Amino acid sequence: MTRTQRLFALAALVLLAIVPFFVTDSYTRHVFIVAFIYATVAVNWDLSLGLGGLFNFGHVAFFGIGVYTAAILTTALDVSPWIAIPAGGITAAIAALIIALPVAKLQGIYVVLVTFAFGQLCLQIVLSQGDLTGGAEGLVRLPYLTIGDYKFIRDFKFAYYYLALAILAVSVIVLLLIAQSPFGKSLRAVRDNPDYAASRGISVARQRVLVLVASSVMTGVVGGFYAIYLRVASPEVFGFSIATLVVSMVLIGGAGSIIGPAIAALALTFATEAMAGVRGMEEARFIIVAVAMIVVLQVAPGGVVDIFGRLLGSGRKT
Amino acid sequence: MSRLLDVSGIHAGYGTVPVLHGIDIHLDKGEAVGLFGPNGHGKSTLLRTISGLLRPSRGTVTFDGQDITTAKPSAIVAAGLIHAQQSNTLFGDMGVEETLELSAFSPRARDGWKDRLAEVHTLFPRLAERRRQKAKTLSGGERQMLSIGCALMCAPRLLILDEPTLGLSPRLKGELCAAIAEIAKKGVPLIVVEQDVEFLLTLTDRLYLVEQGEVAREIDGSNAPDHQEIMDMYFGEGAH
Amino acid sequence: MDGVLIPTLVSGLLLGSLYALMASGLSLIWTTLGVFNFAHGALMTLGAYIAWTVTEQLGLGLAAGFVAGIGAAVIAGVVIELLLVRPFYGSRNMMLITVMTTLAASTIIERGISVIWGPRLKQLPRVIDGQVNILGAPVSAHETLIIVLAPAVLLALWWYTGRTRSGRSLRAVGQNQDSAALIGIDVPRTFSLAFGLSAALAGVTGVLLGSIRFITPGLGADPLVNAMIVVIFGGLGSLGATAGAAYVIGMMEALLVLWLGLYWTPSVLFVALIAVLVFRPNGLFGKVSA
Ligand SMILES: Nc1ncnc2c1ncn2[C@@H]1O[C@H](COP(=O)(O)OP(=O)(O)O)[C@@H](O)[C@H]1O
Ligand SMILES: [Mg+2]
Repeated sequence: MTRTQRLFALAALVLLAIVPFFVTDSYTRHVFIVAFIYATVAVNWDLSLGLGGLFNFGHVAFFGIGVYTAAILTTALDVSPWIAIPAGGITAAIAALIIALPVAKLQGIYVVLVTFAFGQLCLQIVLSQGDLTGGAEGLVRLPYLTIGDYKFIRDFKFAYYYLALAILAVSVIVLLLIAQSPFGKSLRAVRDNPDYAASRGISVARQRVLVLVASSVMTGVVGGFYAIYLRVASPEVFGFSIATLVVSMVLIGGAGSIIGPAIAALALTFATEAMAGVRGMEEARFIIVAVAMIVVLQVAPGGVVDIFGRLLGSGRKT
Repeated sequence: MSRLLDVSGIHAGYGTVPVLHGIDIHLDKGEAVGLFGPNGHGKSTLLRTISGLLRPSRGTVTFDGQDITTAKPSAIVAAGLIHAQQSNTLFGDMGVEETLELSAFSPRARDGWKDRLAEVHTLFPRLAERRRQKAKTLSGGERQMLSIGCALMCAPRLLILDEPTLGLSPRLKGELCAAIAEIAKKGVPLIVVEQDVEFLLTLTDRLYLVEQGEVAREIDGSNAPDHQEIMDMYFGEGAH
Repeated sequence: MDGVLIPTLVSGLLLGSLYALMASGLSLIWTTLGVFNFAHGALMTLGAYIAWTVTEQLGLGLAAGFVAGIGAAVIAGVVIELLLVRPFYGSRNMMLITVMTTLAASTIIERGISVIWGPRLKQLPRVIDGQVNILGAPVSAHETLIIVLAPAVLLALWWYTGRTRSGRSLRAVGQNQDSAALIGIDVPRTFSLAFGLSAALAGVTGVLLGSIRFITPGLGADPLVNAMIVVIFGGLGSLGATAGAAYVIGMMEALLVLWLGLYWTPSVLFVALIAVLVFRPNGLFGKVSA
């Protein structure tokens, strides 16, 4: 993370903050909000996958757990959405801790398999516990956010926009701080040279637990926000499609760069939303994203950020 | 005499690191040659380039009149150029007999594989005793025997052995040297890499000293060195 | 108890058979080239759809459908190897990159299927209609066929990799690529062979499953996940351990459904998975190594 990159991130934040003054229609703002949500999931995933080099393929499950935590709390227990959203972060962190127990000791492909299976088992549980989760239909008509009498859905989602942006901004800032902290540095060192851990007496298991938990919190929170914002919780959030979409954001943006996945998330969300409007593209857009990911892996394994970095002559990232 | 193998001007390396800087060696039909030189100077890299595991960046390899510079390893083996790697661990979970059978893989090697298996067993009776044992449980010497045995099963028209006695006890080393001499006697053309130059001198017609990715010296009957000269070559006084 | 025990055992054997067919295909690719194929479930789905089209739409009969379904899976598997796996051989992160590319392939195939065949449910006819009597309990003949066929296929695979030249070459390439190349094995061609064979196993599973479940674009997702759980427990390294784990998990699932009902089975399986991994990080049977 160079000074220029930090300035760039700040400029982007300011720019995004003034967008609602120019973009006033509800649909475009909705796409921005969804993009911020995906971006939050992507940058947090980048902490474990990119910075930590941990082959975690269950990250989207943390998101789904946040979604269902908020949905169940607000429907079954009548909890206020303001509490249900952060509660998503807590349950996601607990889930991360549970999955970290086995993952801390596993190697290579088995990390991929166990984390992936974890996500799929979450899906199975949601499907089977129909009384609580609504099964395959999911939960609908969740309460929306209000402050006093002010309803967030009013003013063309003005308030939702800023809340989503705030969640993303907090995530990015925290992750950038982590990346520059001694912890972040030792993460990268161990990722690039596993022998380093042994020679420095670093506990890889402890690192993995911390990384998984740290990456899960904001992911769970944004999951809770997603549920409250859309007012539905559907088991699709655990599916292959969202996982592939978000992982392609991380890879196309450039794993390990934090900012890259955020940019890619914005670009890809707008691209897929635009394609969703075209007849016959509803399914094909996922194919296009998947192909784009494969192409990026072939021509620029460092992601698109890497290409810009090379074009600008600023050397390699991180 | 006609050339069986002609390696000319080979440049090769790993990634961006060059190891070989223009190597020329050749071998006539019916001949045996030796390669020696300090560790890490590119002998194995040269052999990997000849057998197609590495692509040279420059230069050509011709085997029996055919340009094999860019041929696939499997095609090179099918043509009869067989390379037994240095410290070859082979297939850890496969049995000895199974490995030998499989090694007669190319169509040319299929013909008469049973006879060749019998020959291998005569040459290395220990492999016959350990038919069912897995390769990963073999001792270093046995593994070396299996490696050479596999190479023989490939029906070599040129056999390349990379340090076949590396790390073996003197007794085992003697056994293997005798077996290699036996193979040479049968008329199989050989390229052998060895640290033991005196053994190479008894086995082969010519020697190449490989240093820093180049042929530093070629030795044949007319200019055979004595023991002191060999020591000098290893310890850097002789060449350059 | 008798009334439910036999059907439960049969259902356990059936699940075990399906998981074993799927998981052995995954294990075959893994042991040969160190790639985990996330598109394995999608290949299975593709096989089922092609079989349905040939059988029902073209009316060419089930036998032709089977052949076409398996053939389509094989072709798709080889194409995946050529386009999405081969460019990354030797790359430092090959295992991870190929997880991503095969995941992308699964998305492409699944969504492609939706585009081509639409969302309507489809089903293949059964190979054999009617029921057979097993120890006094009626069991569908088609399911019995699967239960008999799966071990036969696994045995054939075991014989192939152990006794034939090309089967042995798969194992050789998996254990030492350079040494395999130096005895004349064409390593890249062997990779394609592994993918093709594995895809054939996925295709077989697809056409067999296509007549007991509805065929949807997501048909393969569930079996893939279950096969993954199987290889987590059994390891990816050996066919025997993989098949053993498949039957244990299938049986366990059937018994859990009998005792606890569908409602709790996934949760209990989940807890069992975590517990086993925490206390036996090497899996139940296999040696877990990367
Ligand atoms: N797989 C490899 N990757 C990178 N460098 C290698 C590899 N194998 C050998 N080298 C390097 O190539 C050089 C020559 O090695 P080698 O051909 O094995 O020498 P020799 O056989 O003469 O001992 C050495 O500097 C060695 O470190
Ligand atoms: Mg060497």
